[in-house]
Parts: sequence; structure tokens; C-alpha cells
Amino acid sequence: MDLKEQTVTKVDFKVQEVRLLTPSTYVLRFNRNNLSFKAGQYIRVGIPGNRQRREYSIYSGENDDFMEILVKEVIEGDISKKLKRMKEGDSLIVEGPFGFFNLNPTDVPTRKFYFFASGTGISPFHSYVKSYPAMNYTLIHGIKFIEETYEKEHYEDKRYISCTSRDEKGDFSGRVTKIIPIYPFEDDALFYLCGNSDMVYDVYNLLADRGVSTDNIFTEVYF
Amino acid sequence: MKRTIAFKTLGCRLNQYETEALASQFSRNEYDVVEFEKPADVYVVNACTVTNQSDQKTRTFVNHASKLKHKPMVVVMGCMSPEQQKIFSDNSAITYLIDNEKKSGVFQLIDAHFKGELVEKEQLTADRFNYELTDPLFHTRSFIKIQDGCDNFCTYCIIPMVRGMAVSRPVDEIMDNIRQAVSNGYKEIVITGVNISRYYYEDVHFEDLIEQILNMPEDFRLRISSMEPDELNDKFISLMSHPKFCPHLHLCIQSGSDRILIKMNRMYTMPTYLKLVEKIKQANPLFNLTTDIMVGFPGENGADFEETAKVAREVGFSHIHTFKYSKRTGTRADRMPEQVPEPVKSQRSEVIRKIAEENRIAYFHKLLGMEQTILVEKIKNGRAQGYGEYYVPVKFAASNNVKENDLIKVKLTGIEECEDAFMIGEVIGF
Repeated sequence: MDLKEQTVTKVDFKVQEVRLLTPSTYVLRFNRNNLSFKAGQYIRVGIPGNRQRREYSIYSGENDDFMEILVKEVIEGDISKKLKRMKEGDSLIVEGPFGFFNLNPTDVPTRKFYFFASGTGISPFHSYVKSYPAMNYTLIHGIKFIEETYEKEHYEDKRYISCTSRDEKGDFSGRVTKIIPIYPFEDDALFYLCGNSDMVYDVYNLLADRGVSTDNIFTEVYF
Repeated sequence: MKRTIAFKTLGCRLNQYETEALASQFSRNEYDVVEFEKPADVYVVNACTVTNQSDQKTRTFVNHASKLKHKPMVVVMGCMSPEQQKIFSDNSAITYLIDNEKKSGVFQLIDAHFKGELVEKEQLTADRFNYELTDPLFHTRSFIKIQDGCDNFCTYCIIPMVRGMAVSRPVDEIMDNIRQAVSNGYKEIVITGVNISRYYYEDVHFEDLIEQILNMPEDFRLRISSMEPDELNDKFISLMSHPKFCPHLHLCIQSGSDRILIKMNRMYTMPTYLKLVEKIKQANPLFNLTTDIMVGFPGENGADFEETAKVAREVGFSHIHTFKYSKRTGTRADRMPEQVPEPVKSQRSEVIRKIAEENRIAYFHKLLGMEQTILVEKIKNGRAQGYGEYYVPVKFAASNNVKENDLIKVKLTGIEECEDAFMIGEVIGF
């Protein structure tokens, strides 16, 4: 089925678990319910009886028999707090999948990938790696504190670089932007950027300044 | 007795087209189409929900119709937020509430109602393309809908939620529709939809479709309406030199700042947009580019706005549809910090408006002396007016044998600088 044709609001999604990664960040797992998606796409999630929806990149892999999203609880938010309190068997409303932040499967066996994430922007990259475990990638993750590495054991040690801006416990101390001038990127690599708009904008420009073709830079903005 | 029906359309050109197609269908079937302010048996509001203000405007017109003492039939159709739908569902004066999927069946529903036949709205076929041709009563150009919906999810836009995801019309249907329009006397075809550059049907992409249309043997000229710049490739640019292709595009830019484009989740950057403009201008230096600019998006600072103003001047858009960012509940932008104060938005809007005026006159000067074939839209006081291939408004002295919907060759000889500036032409042939 052409993914473009999937315009559905689906019901009958049931929470399977809420997995706390930090006091404010968690993975919400629910049943797959035959939802077809491409790694990198996002869904809109809501709670029955509440008209609000929030967008979350899919955290799980294309071939998993469950769905997962990575959620940061927003202090002044509504949905993220309610999702965190959900119990096994609670119902969810899911719309989608949406978006074009996808890999070209033909690139996967032949190209080197660099993933730049800030915070929960790691989510689509987690999905990529689960969907294509043999891919050649390096994931550069911008976080404030080392506790925010979000299940880094999913990635090979040599492929995951944490950049901590508020402590010195990461693989690299400072924002992800600081690593760009000194990192030996391959010229023909593909660059995927996901997270807050300031990080995406800065990294995009720094890569372009380094001579990376903008045709090889792909972005997804959370806020 | 002839029934009377009145329409009120809010929002985009696609909504306008759909209303006109429906009104034409009623008109062809013994209904009198009257103005919304006049007494009518049926009032149809084609709703828009693109901003919170659009919701408010829609409610104003619906409330007006539903409070009329003669208790007319009231039909509300089109784009509605879930909250708006709930409000209308609770209003007992509204006879039918129709979504976009079934909007094309409104005639069937209303006509059956007056004939005493029982047709439930659930029985209507969901078809976003099943509209009859518009009457020349509304336009001398025939709008052909090729696509509906959008799945770009710009952070300020609710359209994917209300129009649905992108869906493309079968090629054969489009071709048939164009043949029918041309045989009905239309000389200009305008391609329309929500996000037309995303057209894709059974391995036919947008540029493939345009190529097929341009190669049709029928005699017409082709205009592309508003479109997004992210899917235009070299093949499409090569088609611009086709004699049927009108050299004008309304190429939405929204902002000249990459920082803001990223926040908007637009599918292009300024370098890619400007590269596209360069290619278009290389193919035809006089190609007419117009655009949309949104000022005051959350986080837009003075430097971002300056970049937008600079691009507006440098590209020289001959028309800019400027609008102030307006909150839309349910979008990501609505939840963004750094909302821009209204007075700042107004000031920025005014700056862009002035640039657009200057650009327009400068562009008109470049066209002086050029020949254009004007599709006559209106003749008033011996003066005909219409648009040429480059989509600039032209007026010229019309002899008695000039009629509406004629194609008249003129030489562009002057410029009338006023609030709605236009060019002056001299007839050189028919």
C-alpha cells in the first residue's frame, strides 16, 4: 500500500508499557495494530476523550511487532503528562504515519550516514538503526547531561557519540556544533539532522560551510 | 418555481473553485444563484479553518443564515476543525454538515431534498474530484483540479488535518476534464489543487502530467496556479518553453530566512529556492514570479525579516500575497514560544506590501513594448480588461467586435500606476 494513501485515524491501540529512561523521559510502547510505516516517519498521538494530539517520531523499528515513541514530559504540557501516567491496556488514538524523513533503502548498503540529534530527536535514528542494523552510521547526540543518552546500549559504542553541554561526562563536552569543525566526515556521506530548530539550523549551516552538499543534508524539526 | 441558492466561500482558491463548480451545477439545473445577502431558499457556507480567525468568520456567516426568519435550508461544508464541527452539529438550524470528501455531492443532496426524495448524506460518494466544470459566469479561465490534500505538515498549517493527506486525480479524468472545458469554449486552463507539485498517480509525476497536458492537440493555453517549490525539477523547467505554457508561477516562499523556514518545516532552503529561481530566469528572464510571504512567524526576529525583505526585492516578485502569521489551534507553531506582537507583524506586513508595489511597477516596465495575448474578462465603458500570458492585468480600448472570452493580441504601451496598477495595451490583432 502506498504510504501516502494512509490517512487514517486509528483506534484500538493499547498501551503495553511505559519505560522510564530519566525522571522526565520515557518510552511508550503500544501494540502495532497493523500500522505500516517507514523508519523516520512520525505519528500523532492522543487520548480518547481529549481532542489534543501531539506529534512523535516513531522510535521502534519497521519490523518490530510493537510501536514505540520516545516522550519528553513537558512541564506545562498536557498530553505528555497524561501519556506518562498510562497503564497497560489503556487506549490510545494514533494518526498517521506522516512525514518524509526517510532513508533511501538503496543507500543503506553503500553509504555512510551521520545522524545529528538533540534530546529526543534521537528517536527516528533509533528507528533507522533497528530497521537497518547493518547500516554504516555515526550518531552524534546533543544532550545536556549524561543521563539523557536514552538507551545508548542499542548502538555500538564506536557509533554513538554523546555531546554533553551541561556536564563533562559525555564523549565530547559541548554542543554538537562544536564537534563539526574537528570531526573527519567523509565527503560523500549523508547527513540527517533531527531535534530543535536552532540545532538543526546551526548544524546545517556548519556542514554547508564545510563543503557538504545540501542535497545530502536532510532535516526534521521538533520545535 | 425556480429555487434560489446563495453561497459564501471562505479561504483558499481551491475552495473558491469548488464553490464555483457547485454553483455552476445548480445554475445549470434550474436554480437561481443569488448573492449571500439576498433572500434565498438555500444558504451554503464553504468553510475555512486555516486560522482561528477563519473559524470565527465561518461561524459569523453560518449564524447569519441560521437566524433568518424565513428558515432557509442551511448547508455547511468544507474545512472544519473538530471543535467547529461540534458547534455546528449542535445547531439545529443547520440542515446538512458536509465534509470535503463528500462536498462534490452537495447538489445531489439538496436537489433530492426539494424533490421530496430521501437521500442521506452518508449515501453520497466520497470523491474529492467529482466536480462539474465551472460556468464562464464565474471565470473566463477553467480551473482543473488535479490533486487534493497535503502531507507536508508545515508547523503553522492545519490543512493536512482537514483536507486529508495528498491524493492525486487519475490522469485520464484530468484529460477528459480539459477536453470538456476546451469544447465548452474555454481558452485557458488553470491547474489547481492544495499542493500540486506533489501530484503522483500511477508513476506519473507532476512534470509528466504537465507534459501530457501540454501535448494535447486541443487549442488552449495552460496556467499553473499556486505551488510549492520543493518538487520542481529540470524537466518541469524545460516545459516552460512550450508555447502553451503561460510564463507565470505563484511560487510560495513564506520566509527568506532559513532559520524560520526550518521552524516552519518547509521542504526547501533559501539556497535551493534561489537556485530554482535562477534556473527559471535563465530559461526566460521575463518569467513572472509571484509569491506568498508570511510575516511574524514565532521566533522571527528583525534579522530574519530583513532576509525576507531582501529576497523579496532581489527576486522581484511582481505580486506578493502578504499575510500576518495567525495562530491555529492544533498546530505545532501554536505551541511555539516567541510569538511576535501584532504591531510588529503589521509593520513588517506594510514593508513587504511596499516592496511588492515597487516590484510590480518595475516588472511592468520590463514588459513595455512586448506583445501579449489577452483573455478578455470584462468590458466596461469601451475598455476591455484581462490577463496576458505573463499574468499581468492589461486594459485596452475595445472596439465593438471585442467580446468577453476573446483572445486579443495587444502591444503593451503604458502603465497606470494606481492602487491596483495595470498595464495599458493597444490592439494589434485578433
